[in-house]
Amino acid sequence: MSLLRVEDLSKTFGAIRAVDSISFEVRPGEIYGLLGPNGAGKTTTISMLCGLLKPDAGEVLVAGTAFWDDPQKAKSIMGVVPQELAIYEELSGRENLEFWGRMAGLSSREAGSRATELLEALMLTDRAKDAVNKYSGGMKRRINLGCALLHRPQLLLLDEPTVGIDPQARLNILEFIRKLQSAGTAILYTTHYLEEAETLCQRIGIIDHGRLLAEGTLSQLQERLGGHRVFVLEADFKGTSPELWPGFEQRFRVIQKTERQLVVAAVGERDPSECLKDLLGLPVRAENVTLKRPSLNDVFLQLTGRELRE
Amino acid sequence: MLRVLLAKDLRRALRNPLPWLIHLIVPLAMTMLLGLVFGGHSESNALGRIRFAVVDEDKSRLGDLLRTAADQPRGGRHFQLVPMEREAALREIDAGKISAVLIIPTNFMSNYLSAREPASLELIKNPAESVNPAVVEELLGAGVTALNAISHNFSSEFPQWRPLLEGKGDYSKAFLVIERTGLKIMLEYKDYLNPPLVGYEKESPAAKPAGKPAAQAGGSNGGDTSDLFAYLLTGFSGMFLLFIAGTANSDLYSELRLHTLERYQTLRDSLAPMLASKAVFAVVLLLLCSAMMLGGGGLIFRVHWRHPLELMVLTIGYACFMAALFAVFVALMPDERRAAVLNNLAAMGLGLAGGVFPPQSLPAFLREHITPLLPSYWFVNTARNLQDGGAGAAWGWTAFKLAALGAVLITLAAMLLRRRFQAGLRT
Repeated sequence: MSLLRVEDLSKTFGAIRAVDSISFEVRPGEIYGLLGPNGAGKTTTISMLCGLLKPDAGEVLVAGTAFWDDPQKAKSIMGVVPQELAIYEELSGRENLEFWGRMAGLSSREAGSRATELLEALMLTDRAKDAVNKYSGGMKRRINLGCALLHRPQLLLLDEPTVGIDPQARLNILEFIRKLQSAGTAILYTTHYLEEAETLCQRIGIIDHGRLLAEGTLSQLQERLGGHRVFVLEADFKGTSPELWPGFEQRFRVIQKTERQLVVAAVGERDPSECLKDLLGLPVRAENVTLKRPSLNDVFLQLTGRELRE
Repeated sequence: MLRVLLAKDLRRALRNPLPWLIHLIVPLAMTMLLGLVFGGHSESNALGRIRFAVVDEDKSRLGDLLRTAADQPRGGRHFQLVPMEREAALREIDAGKISAVLIIPTNFMSNYLSAREPASLELIKNPAESVNPAVVEELLGAGVTALNAISHNFSSEFPQWRPLLEGKGDYSKAFLVIERTGLKIMLEYKDYLNPPLVGYEKESPAAKPAGKPAAQAGGSNGGDTSDLFAYLLTGFSGMFLLFIAGTANSDLYSELRLHTLERYQTLRDSLAPMLASKAVFAVVLLLLCSAMMLGGGGLIFRVHWRHPLELMVLTIGYACFMAALFAVFVALMPDERRAAVLNNLAAMGLGLAGGVFPPQSLPAFLREHITPLLPSYWFVNTARNLQDGGAGAAWGWTAFKLAALGAVLITLAAMLLRRRFQAGLRT
């Protein structure tokens, strides 16, 4: 049974359809990545999953129970890490953890011992008594993450937890999240960083303009491009139309075309050297041909016609 | 839960005490400013007795009567009547030493008693003053009305009284005149005079204890000890505390800004405990501020609060109302800057219409239909009645009403804020 099941969830703000009938599920011990650019609807989705926003339509099932049938029960199962820091800067790291532990229903003693565990796990023990406003950005992010974990949630909703921090701090947080996953926590992880989704998540949903465009494992998403490799051909493509070249559409599918670059995937299971020979025989003067594994960006490109980084 | 939330806010306040200290210092500064404006303290009657001259050119008994009336203990507390000659009085008024001159012209009493010619008094007001001359004029107006009423009802007796008042009558027969007038009063006016047909209540309807008649004119219990500065302080406290309550609720905005209110909602289904903790915190701050204003002000003005415990309970009720009211404003207007404007307008409106100034000075519609409905008026009026010693048990009911209204408003604020969050509130 999935810990989180989302069915046809929708939310509209005035004329803007922020989330449009999205459905997915997060299974125990799995990191499910919701990948999309800023404004794609990731935060709105998380807000509906944790009860901050009421959906216009659709259903959220937490451990098999509809969220709005018993919101307090659902909230006790999940931990939420908001995108913005949601901590008290005047309080110390320990005080923040203990306070949010008490809010999650722990006793004073439980909150204290759990805070000690988390401070150690987050490598903040030596700064536990310092006010958070004296922490670095990465340390604040770690405390922000820890504040959602006091009550040992089975389901963790992480809304872009690494935004705005340095690479080292990001690696620390990602490592911590992997540990949580290996301890059995189901995690919904929203991000607009391709590398994070690729390296961290078992399954990925690609979201844009409020719609879930595709989902699956990285391999499954790569399969959508027709295989495990794509070819990048550099040449002058100004004024050309590859689809008009004889036999081209039977052999290749265009992922992206610019004036200087053509990204294609081979149709069907074909030998790379054979594909390379075909590409060099195209009616353009090829300057460079690269073979690479398709990235999530290529998938996103194929699905939306633009790059995720744009 | 509430304890944990309060402990958190207390810690935060202690780590960053400056804003809170400012909250506490402001009322003290305001009180001191009031002290400077109104000068000193109440024991020496700092506003001073109203000093006015009486020029008795008629040299009649009426002048003597006026002097005697002004020398009565109650009148003497507020007025200082100085008999003078016209020229001296005019010099005094030019020098700003007196507020007004009342001139009783020659033949005034004779004209009054004979009704042959209109009897007219003359009042010269000090143009450099505003309040005191107006008070003397009001007093004179009341006296003139009384003289006209006597003339209207007892003119038939005047021929007998006139020789006695002019010192020309046979005093051995004075008792006959007195008896005759007394009989007329007994027979014709007894029903109007005892008990008096018209009186006035010192207590507001809200403050009047159920089933207990209101104090009548001349019989107000404790009216003699009422204190102008206590009156002013309660009025100004009613308004300034509203401003402070608005500012105290700014911490709720910081919870919105910090997204901690959002995080709280991911853990707890009800917003009420969080809002209640903010309200309790604001109430404590308001109580400290009111202690500064009323207690500190009391020291500055040497006001003796006659019912400090009752006043404290009443202030707690008022603080509950204020904290909850501004929590509703937060829920209605999550934009902090706009809310600050609304807070100030509300504080000013509630304060000015609710008792800073005497309700009698307000426009009739406001005074009769709006002011009695305002919680600020409940507080100020009851506090003033308490100080006058006339509120009886009403302070408890008023405190309860204010606290109950506060509870309703906090619930409303929680509902509104939750609804706004679910509709997509973003700060």
